[in-house]
Amino acid sequence: MKTLLTAFVGSMALATAPMAMSAEANKELKMAYDADPVSLDIHEQLSGGMLQLSHMTFDPLIRWTKDLGFEPRLAKSWERIDENTMRFELREGVNFHSGNELTAKDVKFTFDRLKQSQDYKAIFKPFSELKVIDDYTFELVTTEPYPLLLNTATYIFPLDSEFYTGKTESGKDKSAITKHGNSFASENLSGTGPYVITGRQQGVRVEFERFDDYWDTESPGNVGKIVLTPIKENNTRVSALLSGGVDFIAPVPPTDLERIRRDKNSDLVTMSGTRIILFHMNQDRVEAFKNPKVREAIAYAINQEGIAAKIMKGFATPAAQMSPDGYQGHNDSLAPRFDVEKAQQLMKEAGYEDGFTISMMAPNNRYVNDDKIAQAVAAMLARINIKVDLKTLPKAQYWPEYDARAADMMMIGWHADTEDSANFFEFLTFCPDAESGDGQYNAGNYCNPDIDELVNKANVETDLDKRTAMLKEVEQRLYDDAAFVPLHWQDLAWASKKNVKIEPILNVMNFPYLGDLVVE
Amino acid sequence: MTTATLSRWDRFRESFLWYSFKRDKVAIASFIVLVSMVLAAIFAPLLAPADPYDLAQINIMNSELPPVGLDGSDPAFPLGTDAQGRDLLSTILYGTRVSLLIGFGAVVLQAALGILFGLLAGYLGGRVDSILMRIADVQLSFSTLMVAIIVGAVFKASFGNLMFGEIAIYMLIFIIGVSEWPQIARTVRASVLAEKKKEYVDAAKVMGFRTRRIMFRHILPNTLSPIFVIATVQIANAIISEAALSFLGLGMPETQPSLGSLIKSGFDYIQSGSWWITLIPGLVLVVLVLVINLLGDWLRDVMNPRLYKG
Repeated sequence: MKTLLTAFVGSMALATAPMAMSAEANKELKMAYDADPVSLDIHEQLSGGMLQLSHMTFDPLIRWTKDLGFEPRLAKSWERIDENTMRFELREGVNFHSGNELTAKDVKFTFDRLKQSQDYKAIFKPFSELKVIDDYTFELVTTEPYPLLLNTATYIFPLDSEFYTGKTESGKDKSAITKHGNSFASENLSGTGPYVITGRQQGVRVEFERFDDYWDTESPGNVGKIVLTPIKENNTRVSALLSGGVDFIAPVPPTDLERIRRDKNSDLVTMSGTRIILFHMNQDRVEAFKNPKVREAIAYAINQEGIAAKIMKGFATPAAQMSPDGYQGHNDSLAPRFDVEKAQQLMKEAGYEDGFTISMMAPNNRYVNDDKIAQAVAAMLARINIKVDLKTLPKAQYWPEYDARAADMMMIGWHADTEDSANFFEFLTFCPDAESGDGQYNAGNYCNPDIDELVNKANVETDLDKRTAMLKEVEQRLYDDAAFVPLHWQDLAWASKKNVKIEPILNVMNFPYLGDLVVE
Repeated sequence: MTTATLSRWDRFRESFLWYSFKRDKVAIASFIVLVSMVLAAIFAPLLAPADPYDLAQINIMNSELPPVGLDGSDPAFPLGTDAQGRDLLSTILYGTRVSLLIGFGAVVLQAALGILFGLLAGYLGGRVDSILMRIADVQLSFSTLMVAIIVGAVFKASFGNLMFGEIAIYMLIFIIGVSEWPQIARTVRASVLAEKKKEYVDAAKVMGFRTRRIMFRHILPNTLSPIFVIATVQIANAIISEAALSFLGLGMPETQPSLGSLIKSGFDYIQSGSWWITLIPGLVLVVLVLVINLLGDWLRDVMNPRLYKG
């Protein structure tokens, strides 16, 4: 497959050779993340890692700017036609890596595929269709007035419809989305993005080269080659940067922030984050979790402030709800409730004074200090006689386990895809429904149709005050019900060598726009 | 035999072993250190201020406290605490116990297998020898760690983590014991080959003793000295193997830290201020392995007939 890819890239380079390259993209960047992308199919999984890959090899219609505004990318302009319709104008003369030209039919193909994707279908539920007007014009139509239309458009990365259509040699459909499987799309990629993948060894390294025919000639980016190496060990990753082995690392563990700040040759960029880290309690697997008292006891047993202060070194904000400060649903009256005695009391009332044994799983290279947090939580649960069988796994193995709901308590971190509270609920607390994609990441199987109804109402509410009140009420009710155990909002940190100017390309979504990266 | 038991202590005091031990300061010092570590490990539940295996006793708010004498230390935790708030002194005591148990246990298992197969191969020769030694060859061609990693991963997957946590010590003894037996078998076989040509073996055969009796009562005692020497080195090796496996996350679970897993858990912090989590258990491990190796060296010199008789 790799040879195919290389041959393909080679032929493409020949085809585009006569065209002059715009910017002098001759710098090389070696970067180390804690993990590499689990697949090349950007619709296979909705995760930070996959979106980072999307921003390197594809382009969205529009993208978030640093101050949470929108900037045009493949869509050069947009206007509202009526309360349910938004018309977009596509940029002309944009080519895919395969050489095909981008037209509205590619966008339609992508939209339809997103509607099929297990992970994305819930986000695109409010949309009824994508109407192609002509080659460079299309309309996004929603069933009801939808306030987050543009937010969602940042998730449309047009795919090369010709490239992804047809059958492979072995007769498989090229457009198929297979979770954790070997589909055509998981091993081949053709987007419009600034980088082409020239080599990939899962878990070892991914090599990117600047796309010669990239449409954005204004981009200041001058990196011609990127080598991404996953380094799981925090300490090793930091050492790799300090010793000069790599130029750019993320995430930076909280324990090493000071060390990098002190280093003369490195730059550190931090931002307070909006990604909530939480544990789900699976009610389908554990009878006791059906009892709200037990769930509440667990919520009381866990010391969020301790974790944020000690394990995260203050590099996180303790949470009692999902919406971070500044989101519409953020409810100021909710505070972390840590009280071991109360927790023991609740366990007693629920009739589980002697406790029980549960299994717990957490990734060990996905979130900052994820395995240490899980260990600490396991120790805290021992106080209320809940014995924890803890297993931590690398994320490439963790997500299949997560999708199979393989443990009684599972950790997940969530960043609202639409920068809005409702997104948390739709994915993490809605009654799971494979058909609509609701509750796709609700590993607790918590189900309260009343709350779901309230969120759905808020979604079509255009009066901001009313919407805020509704979302706040949702947070309050989830809190009272102890639907899940929130831990903290994780802060973000990146570090690079001084000559790598990462600051302008970073944002709170943690999607580094590497296409615009300048290396001096 | 009975007369010999009566005066065994006297005989020991007359022996060259005791004589050379008294004169070797390194051996004496190593021996004292080893004995005190073994005693501390055995009596860990009495000596340790806290039970590090009881998760309910640890508090995250106590995490990463430095050892006494440094800024911000707490007298309740003389050697400081690890990243989860465990008392380091208690954890080291318990961890040493685990390491020693695995070291001795694995060597007993190795020796049992190694002596049996070595004797059989050496004394019986022929096809038995070929088969046993080829098995040993095959096993020697894999590195111990690799075998241990594969076996460990299989057990971990089939038993689940909680179950694995309970039987982890026995599993590690089994894994390390089984993967290292060829070392001892080879040595035993070599000594047996040399011994079986000697007259006393012929004499025993002529007297009509059974093969088993000749093997175990006549030849084995004469091959013991190299076994002792190898066993001491192997104890040190087994302890290191256990530490390495635990460091890789395949040994003792995080909830029951051995020295190796303790070193691993502090690894993230070593360059960011909290050096003690890795350094102190690391030192304990080094000292433990060093004294065992020094004793092994001394034993080798004493038991080497060329040095001894010469």
